Amino acid sequence: MKHSEQELFPPLSRRLFGVWQRHVRVYTKNIFSNGLPAFFEPLLFLAGIGLGLGTYITQSMEGLSYLEFLGTGLLVTTAMFTASFECSYGTFIRLEFDKVYDGMLAAPLTVRDVIAGEILWAGTKGLFFSFIVLCILMIFGVIRSPQSFLAPFVGFLTGAMFAVISLFITSFVRAINQLNFFFTGFISPMFFFSGVVFPTSNLPSYFQPVVEILPLTHSVRLVRAVCTNHYQFTHLWDFLYIVFFILIVGFFAQKRLRQRMIS
Amino acid sequence: MTDKIILVDHVSKTFPKVLAVDNLSFEVEAQTCFGFLGPNGAGKSTMMKMIYGQCTRDENFTSKLSIFGYDPQYQELQIKYLSGVVPQDNNLDDELDVIQNLLVYSKFYNMPGHLARQRIAYLLDFLELTEKTNTRIQELSGGMKRRLVIARALLNNPRLLILDEPTTGLDPQVRHLIWDKLRLLKKEGTTILLTTHYMEEAFQICDTIMILHNGQKIIEGSPRDLLQNHIEKYVLELPDAGILRHPAYQQMQTQVRLEQTEHGLRLFSGNYDCLKNLAGKMEGENYYLRQTNLEDLFLKATGRDLNETQ
Repeated sequence: MKHSEQELFPPLSRRLFGVWQRHVRVYTKNIFSNGLPAFFEPLLFLAGIGLGLGTYITQSMEGLSYLEFLGTGLLVTTAMFTASFECSYGTFIRLEFDKVYDGMLAAPLTVRDVIAGEILWAGTKGLFFSFIVLCILMIFGVIRSPQSFLAPFVGFLTGAMFAVISLFITSFVRAINQLNFFFTGFISPMFFFSGVVFPTSNLPSYFQPVVEILPLTHSVRLVRAVCTNHYQFTHLWDFLYIVFFILIVGFFAQKRLRQRMIS
Repeated sequence: MTDKIILVDHVSKTFPKVLAVDNLSFEVEAQTCFGFLGPNGAGKSTMMKMIYGQCTRDENFTSKLSIFGYDPQYQELQIKYLSGVVPQDNNLDDELDVIQNLLVYSKFYNMPGHLARQRIAYLLDFLELTEKTNTRIQELSGGMKRRLVIARALLNNPRLLILDEPTTGLDPQVRHLIWDKLRLLKKEGTTILLTTHYMEEAFQICDTIMILHNGQKIIEGSPRDLLQNHIEKYVLELPDAGILRHPAYQQMQTQVRLEQTEHGLRLFSGNYDCLKNLAGKMEGENYYLRQTNLEDLFLKATGRDLNETQ
């Protein structure tokens, strides 16, 4: 029996779409319990810190009111958190407990397809949640510029970026509790030192190189540029940083996870 | 000439601490059922996984692996597209219901929506799960989950069906149902490769059996052939070793093979009358005189002692 070239196996786009769709289906099955916490977290923070503490802050930050400054930052931190959880705890459970990947890899999918689909899905969650937060911020008049509708795309990039870091870290993890170190040691500090709650220029000069290395810094700069429609040449560097970060760390994450998925 | 679906030639697999598959060679013809038998840790699953690319084989110049003419090392997608796999664990998506589980996988095979639904309806009927179409996975029994995993493996009408312990832990009714379906599939042209611990399963559905032990091939052949050529026809099972001191035994010693354990002994022989005669001397004692089966052969081939992986 001869097969024509097209029938041998599904094309790459369909394979990635298949993986992505699997995640969408599982996630949306319990959309409220899955989505609501991720949705309320930035709002709580905005209300508690922005409206509460923020009233004492009269100084403008990078030319923005404090509520605007914090709100724009929260657009990408929500993407960061949702993608990081998805690709650390979520991935670990799929890998070790539910054996989801074993099943998927028995279908015509490669390890790369599975990992790339995972990253696309985390990016989609980033896009979706930053869009939701954006809508809230617009309703309350915190953000007004119509160009800020591009912000969810920064959310997508942020989601994908934190997906690859989380996947990379998860590839080293043997027991699920070890992931707690990742969150308290890496993700939480990132939240405070990447210019979300206060400008990074307030940090001592010896700390500046660290700030420049932190992935979230670049997301925050990019999303503020989008929301204020005020671009500088350095934003190209931020954009390139994110793209190359995804490609390079993604490559290594894939390489390491392959060893866990294929014996 | 018959079509060879699987060609395995001098294939080995070494894990950091253990040689799981040791220089195996075999062939599987189209439309037959090939079964791996062996204790836990014999290398059955590892061999299966190498066939669909879930496991890599040791790099070796003489080793060759060909499935439908494809090498799993380089052409895993082609092989997976033509095969269906039932893994040892039921890795279903617990959050989803029965039909959603199947729909998710239909996307992996790039099946158009309406065709997928038709195929799913057919498969659910085939495996007698139609009533459970919209049931959540948590509410399914072990047997239903297993049948659903089999349905999932059959989605793309595979030419090769790979099953890793398809009926372990299931009740006899479900087991027989699964056997019937596998026989039917074989009749329709599917080639089947399976691993099992159940001698009866191998006897019922396999055309060829290979007994594996410590990654090595011990024997290979059709079930009937194995019983005829590799083990005595009858066995007498006795609870204690008293008979060994009986003069009748000492007389017939050359005609019987003895297997002794702490809790009894088995006398194997091709001569029924000889064993019957011995049994007759055991007045008042429990004894069991019967034909040998694959289990006896299995234990003869792989030994009675447990290894560290069992």
